[in-house]
Amino acid sequence: MVDIGSLALTIAWVLALYAALMSLAGAYWRKRDFIASAEHALLAVWGLVTIAGATLLHALVTHDFNLEYVAHYSSSTLPLPYTIAALWGGQSGSLLFWLMILTSMGAVVLLQNRECNRELMPYVNAVLMLIAFFFLSMLNFVTPPFQRLAFTPAEGQDLNPLLQNYWMTIHPPALYLGYVGCAVPFAFAIGALVTGKLGDAWIRTTRRWTLLAWFFLSMGNLFGAQWAYLVLGWGGYWAWDPVENAAFMPWLTCTAFLHSVMIQEKKNMLKIWNIVLVILTFALTIFGTFLTRSGVISSVHSFTQSGLGPFFMIFLGVTLAVSVALLIWRLPQLKSENELDSVLSRESTFLLNNLVLVGIAFAVFWGTVFPVISEAVRGIKITVGPPFFNKVNAPLGLTLLFLTGVGPVIAWRRASARNLERNFLLPVSLGLLGGIVLFSAGIRHYSAVLSFALCIFVLATIAMEFYRGIRARQAMLGENPATALLRLISKNRRRYGGYIIHIGVVMMFLGITGTSAFKEEKQITLKPGESFTMGGDTLRYDGVTAHETTHIAYLTASIAVFRNGLQIDTLRPEKRFYKKPQQPTTEVAIRSRPSADLYLVLGSYDEASKMATIQAYINPLVSWLWWGGVVLVIGTAVTIVPSRAPARAPAYAPSRGGQTVAAD
Amino acid sequence: MNRKARFAIAAFLLAGAVGYLMYSGIRQAAVYYLTIDEFLAKKESLANEGIRVAGRVELGSVTKRMTPVGEELNFRLGDFRTDGAAGPAVPVHFIGVTPDMFKAAGGSDVIVEGKYRDGTLYAQSLLTSCPSKYEAEAGK
Repeated sequence: MVDIGSLALTIAWVLALYAALMSLAGAYWRKRDFIASAEHALLAVWGLVTIAGATLLHALVTHDFNLEYVAHYSSSTLPLPYTIAALWGGQSGSLLFWLMILTSMGAVVLLQNRECNRELMPYVNAVLMLIAFFFLSMLNFVTPPFQRLAFTPAEGQDLNPLLQNYWMTIHPPALYLGYVGCAVPFAFAIGALVTGKLGDAWIRTTRRWTLLAWFFLSMGNLFGAQWAYLVLGWGGYWAWDPVENAAFMPWLTCTAFLHSVMIQEKKNMLKIWNIVLVILTFALTIFGTFLTRSGVISSVHSFTQSGLGPFFMIFLGVTLAVSVALLIWRLPQLKSENELDSVLSRESTFLLNNLVLVGIAFAVFWGTVFPVISEAVRGIKITVGPPFFNKVNAPLGLTLLFLTGVGPVIAWRRASARNLERNFLLPVSLGLLGGIVLFSAGIRHYSAVLSFALCIFVLATIAMEFYRGIRARQAMLGENPATALLRLISKNRRRYGGYIIHIGVVMMFLGITGTSAFKEEKQITLKPGESFTMGGDTLRYDGVTAHETTHIAYLTASIAVFRNGLQIDTLRPEKRFYKKPQQPTTEVAIRSRPSADLYLVLGSYDEASKMATIQAYINPLVSWLWWGGVVLVIGTAVTIVPSRAPARAPAYAPSRGGQTVAAD
Repeated sequence: MNRKARFAIAAFLLAGAVGYLMYSGIRQAAVYYLTIDEFLAKKESLANEGIRVAGRVELGSVTKRMTPVGEELNFRLGDFRTDGAAGPAVPVHFIGVTPDMFKAAGGSDVIVEGKYRDGTLYAQSLLTSCPSKYEAEAGK
């Protein structure tokens, strides 16, 4: 069985190179049959990689401990969902999984586009197959997943207990879908550069792919944050660890790209910038994959040095060099057909939003690689921790939040005083009012007040857009408000889906502001029966009970929560001991409410005295971050589903005082 | 031209702001990252600086005590030797929650973040370098 897997990978390696070369040759010499042969090879690579993946999955599920990978990352008592998740729990498995997604996407892209994008497709196929070839080389020669052991161990070493969590099983697939999804617009951009078809055809073709990639990157980051919050037990969800930054940076540039393509579609501007962004995004996904595997930068998640690093660096270098060379070669054809007219315009706002996003990405990149740079330059490793990232990103993040309110409603070309008044007088007043109310309520955390005021401002601009759209439909078509709202959204999916995504983003800002400005924490050692207070509630420690299963031993503390003398809840933080890898972990207990989470950790426990150290955290508004993610899912779904109405026909476009409302 | 100049100035101001934020951020948040050998060689010059030191807990050097604000740990942080002998080391003091992977007998690889003064490294945080997410420990 297993030999099928490694054989499939070897054949796929040959075929991927064949597909890439035949595609390029076919495009160069205009040989239709070459291209067709390459397309068949691409589909065959997809099939072979899928077979290899299925083989590894089969070995995991049937507990074939003779296979090194299975013995390392699973055990006979590991629950089935985690056994499946072990497919991407280890180094070589995760690369295989990456490749499975890449080839699947390549196949879908091919089937979607081979008739309609004949000129671009050979290059797109070639780029995707070259990426696949790189990963296949790693899987065949550097970290082969189908390595047999000299003997068959009776039991596996189990999956790392920290990974035995629901969020951790879905976090890597989401992130990989995002990472790999970025390869599709990249491949099209390269195709556009090579063929010289530099209009917005490649952007339109890949719009949904980019959105999908962005969506999965967002989810990957959020799932990772959720996992850190639930599993790592330090009371937070984001630590600016290099691994987290690795997933965050491509998200930032991808977000910038999603916004700036609108300017290219509408105004034929920023063509160079868009290609730069898409190259940067893809390079950052490879950099991220590299960072999490090379051990170049020490992370709390400390990774083993695995020999993959140099290959990834070379791949990254070649990718960047070729992309930039193509870009420079095509620079003369990429001149903008329009220029910016005014600083007060939608174009400028979008451009500024782009610069801020890229600025954040740059700061995060710099902070992440700073230890390496400082060691190279000054001979001493200097790390910058969360204070650096928070200090740099807080003002930039607030600027971005402000622009989220301005960008969608400010006029194109040049905003008139009338446009500004009409769109911003009310939201700005509401934002200011909110800020004043919070300030008089005694909140003296100025950046938090500013952040909340900006949240109000942005929500008000969005609410006004919805209100006006609904009113217009009511007036013109006589619909009732609910129908008007639904039709308004379904006829302008891209625009109103975008607004819904912005609402989700505002909710996330609320959560982030709440936790970073008003978090409380306490650490206390108690005897059973003793109490302490936290955020107005009294918490009584009632001792620890022990029980165990074949897989895990549990120590569970019982903590009663009292408010005004009445018991309102019982929380049970745990210490777990996973038997196979002989590793203890911490399981937090959370009482989650919209206003705040009460988050308890059983720190240390002393068997003799029954004393326990409890860490307690109050995380205000943190659940808004997760609910914001849900809203973001809804918004993306609205945006990505094709309109039934012809895509380019505006549902209505009344002229309002010289300002034309964009239909999407 | 005038318009272009204005955009150039705006972009320049933004880049300047980002640059300034990064510069001051690094000045405030910089922490020296050292291995125990590097630390022992120049510990006096690093007194009261923010430092992160990676080393291995000396076998048999750990004492624990419950205090009202958490567990008090005292141990000696030594180099990455495998023979178990006592070599050059620095005493570490820590109050808080002992990480799950910290072995009471010693021998854990840890990263201590804190400040050094009067011959003791006062740890604000204690991290155990956990076995890799992706690969089991070498030699296992």
